[in-house]
Amino acid sequence: MEGFLFWFCGSLMLLGSLMTVTQRSAVVSAVWLIFAFICAAGIFALLNASFLAVMQVLVYAGAIMVLFLFVIMMLQGPELEGERKLLKLPMWPAVAVPPMAIAVMIVGYLQNKGLTQWGPDAPESFGGPNHVAELLLGKYLLAFELISIVLLVALIGALAIGKDERKLPWK
Amino acid sequence: MESHTTETLLRWIVLVPLLGAAINGLLNRRLPRQVAGLLASAAVLISFALSVTVFLRLTGMPAEARFVSDIVTTWIGFGNLQVDLGFAMDPLSAVMSLVVTGVGFLIHIYSLGYMAHDKGSQRFFTYLNLFIFAMMTLVLGENLLMLFVGWEGVGLCSYLLISFWFTDEANAAAGKKAFIVNRIGDFGFLLGMFLIGATLLPHLGGGEGLLSFRVLQQHAGILAPAATAICLLLFVGATGKSAQIPLFVWLPDAMAGPTPVSALIHAATMVTAGVYMIARMNFLFVLTPTAMTVVATVGAVTALFAATIALTQNDIKKVLAYSTVSQLGYMMLACGVGAFSIAIFHVMTHAFFKALLFLGSGSVIHAMSDEQDMRVMGGLRKKLPLTFWTFIAGTLALAGIAPLAGFFSKDEILWNAWNSGNKVLWAIGFIAAGMTAFYMMRLVVLTFFGENRASAEVKSHIHESPATMTMPLVVLAVLSIAGGWVGIPHFLGGGAHFMTWLEPVFSQPAVVAELAHGAVAHGAEAAAHGAEAASHGAEHAGAHADTTMEWILAGASLAWGILGLLAGYFVYARKVSVAESFQKMGGGWPHKVLLNKYYVDEAYEGAIIRPMYRLSKTVLWKWVDVGLINGLLVEGSALVVAVVGSVMRLFQNGLVRFYAWSFSIGVAVFVLYLSFSG
Amino acid sequence: MEITLTHYLLLAAAIFVTGMVGFIVRRNAIVMLMCVELMLSSVNIVFAAFSRFHLDGGGHVFVLMNFAVAAAEAAIGLAILVEIFRRRRTVNVDDLKTLME
Repeated sequence: MEGFLFWFCGSLMLLGSLMTVTQRSAVVSAVWLIFAFICAAGIFALLNASFLAVMQVLVYAGAIMVLFLFVIMMLQGPELEGERKLLKLPMWPAVAVPPMAIAVMIVGYLQNKGLTQWGPDAPESFGGPNHVAELLLGKYLLAFELISIVLLVALIGALAIGKDERKLPWK
Repeated sequence: MESHTTETLLRWIVLVPLLGAAINGLLNRRLPRQVAGLLASAAVLISFALSVTVFLRLTGMPAEARFVSDIVTTWIGFGNLQVDLGFAMDPLSAVMSLVVTGVGFLIHIYSLGYMAHDKGSQRFFTYLNLFIFAMMTLVLGENLLMLFVGWEGVGLCSYLLISFWFTDEANAAAGKKAFIVNRIGDFGFLLGMFLIGATLLPHLGGGEGLLSFRVLQQHAGILAPAATAICLLLFVGATGKSAQIPLFVWLPDAMAGPTPVSALIHAATMVTAGVYMIARMNFLFVLTPTAMTVVATVGAVTALFAATIALTQNDIKKVLAYSTVSQLGYMMLACGVGAFSIAIFHVMTHAFFKALLFLGSGSVIHAMSDEQDMRVMGGLRKKLPLTFWTFIAGTLALAGIAPLAGFFSKDEILWNAWNSGNKVLWAIGFIAAGMTAFYMMRLVVLTFFGENRASAEVKSHIHESPATMTMPLVVLAVLSIAGGWVGIPHFLGGGAHFMTWLEPVFSQPAVVAELAHGAVAHGAEAAAHGAEAASHGAEHAGAHADTTMEWILAGASLAWGILGLLAGYFVYARKVSVAESFQKMGGGWPHKVLLNKYYVDEAYEGAIIRPMYRLSKTVLWKWVDVGLINGLLVEGSALVVAVVGSVMRLFQNGLVRFYAWSFSIGVAVFVLYLSFSG
Repeated sequence: MEITLTHYLLLAAAIFVTGMVGFIVRRNAIVMLMCVELMLSSVNIVFAAFSRFHLDGGGHVFVLMNFAVAAAEAAIGLAILVEIFRRRRTVNVDDLKTLME
């Protein structure tokens, strides 16, 4: 069962990401990205990360992607002229170098070490909201507070960038 | 002689004029002209007063101990190489500093009147103060390097002041000429210093100033083998600064500067620096008969050479300039025959009467609305009575008429030349003395006698100069008359106080005296006499000689001077036809040659400047500069940068996607490294 | 075949490479930002997988941190894009080459 779900979600997520990259229209890309993110939520669920799976759907596929769609809408979702031919043919080998390198590494690794088996089964509560909350507000409280400041700064920054400069409160 | 009396006033003698220059230079136009002038004069006056104070302190000491020093700090301390930043005053520098600050002060006062209407007078006084500072550094410097600093400083001030009215291209060119010619001399000086350093340094212990005059004197024995080379190199420097053959060409052109400058720098003080330096290094010069012969010969030849040129010049300042060159030749002659104290005596008297003559000519030029050509002057005797009478005093002093200042010093020089055994030197000096009287009388007659030949407009403006200008004239006239009385020689019943005063400086320590005798044994006959005379002290040489001969020579030179004066008066005031026949003599070409100053400038132009120019244009410019420096070094390095840049430019193409790609390539390389490094 | 940690890592690598290639080949700045999100997401999978492997919840916390960072990055990035579009009427990064000139 787990195997089927992994292959199902994994292949769909890969499909989603490939479509995101290859679709010419930004809107279509965005929709495919949402699809990929929902599949990622499935992967999280398989990894005993139920809270993450929920957050993936809520925050990523929900909030962030809505933001993307809004922006695409604001910019009239332009289908760019140069986007028609994604790349000139001679450039493909160059682009392929990094993926090839990573592939080489992976193949080498697998030949040497083989597959890594899971350790003991996860307890029932692992990855649930209680477990994550304990860590987040306990051991990682400082990081949690700091990341909230990062978010705040990003919020103010986005506001400052987006707003007409003359109308900013401190001007 | 080891005891060093410290006298901190010395540094202030030097620094006060610098302070004056700094204030004037920094405030410049913000100061009213009169204030700037008074400030500058006050600075020099303070300097003079301090010099007098230290001088009086020196007189209170026993003759052998007359030495005060003021070591401010160690300037260069490097291994056993040590050079101090310090000042020292002994009888020699005392005389020089009194002359420099005294005459300098009078000329400052004169400049108050002369430069009153010049727009740049603040700048002028800045330079003048700066000059006094440099000159005092030169005179009071405790070691050869300090002397050199002052030496370069006066060169700079000379350049600045010659081209003071820099808007006129001729003035700027004259300034450059003076500077460049002086640089040639300075090069020799520098080499001389290096040679001293290289010879002496291995033998010095720590804590001894390498170039300090006292240390040099103590170690004269070590320097003796290299003395000839050192002295000849130093003498090259002296020929530049003191306008001797072959580097005299800058001085006549230097008359482009304001007249007070000509008086102060190019007659009274700076040009005598070469003489001072040789006198300062006397302990080394007496060791080398060869160098002494060269100095004496060059001096004598210059004296005659310049005097002949002065016979024909029409520019009043040019006549005086060549006269200065000629008189400097006399001083060099005195140094060359070992009569250093006489040379300094002549420096002093010459400073008085030549400054007087220059300032007088300035007064004339001022009255003539800046006209310098004597051919359009004349008849100024009645219009400028004060200038006339003071000028006469200066003329008689220069012509060597007893009992004015010039008589004693010039006569002593000739006597020492006679005494040196080389009668040719004496003869040259003697002939030049007569010419001096002749051309000075010509100048006086053309300027002050007869009818005025100027245009009516200029004529109407002729007026006696203001008191600020005539007062210094009067003071200098008095000095020109009486200044020589401090050095009346023994045979005339005088005390020769001046020579006695300088004796501690020029009497050689036993070591040097012995070396000098050694040099005599091997040296040429004529120069040997000079060295011997020097080693005994020139005065003593005179004392045990035949006084009858001395009387005869003095009488002859006096008569010869009077004859020259009378001839000049007769030819130019009474029988102008004789003067005209002079010009036509020998088909006219001797006159032409003299008028064109023996074509020395043209010869230099043809022999040095043009080939140099051609070399610069063909080899240095086309090959070295364009090819090597510009092509290889400048453009080559630029090319390397450009090539690297054009390659790097490919990476800086502004394409975000390209940056991302490079980034991912980096990641790929890193990943491959990780996977294959185990 | 049993699913192991390696499978998850390979999946994450594949998605990461996809996002990376997308970032390189796409000209639309919005889509490029989406590719960045994709790459971040693949990293999240790696975090979650190792968290499960070690049975340590720290990985989950870091995934949440990553969410926040992704959100911040999207907010700022999109704000900049909107501003650029306002001024230049384009989001084609090939036209945004003022750095070069």
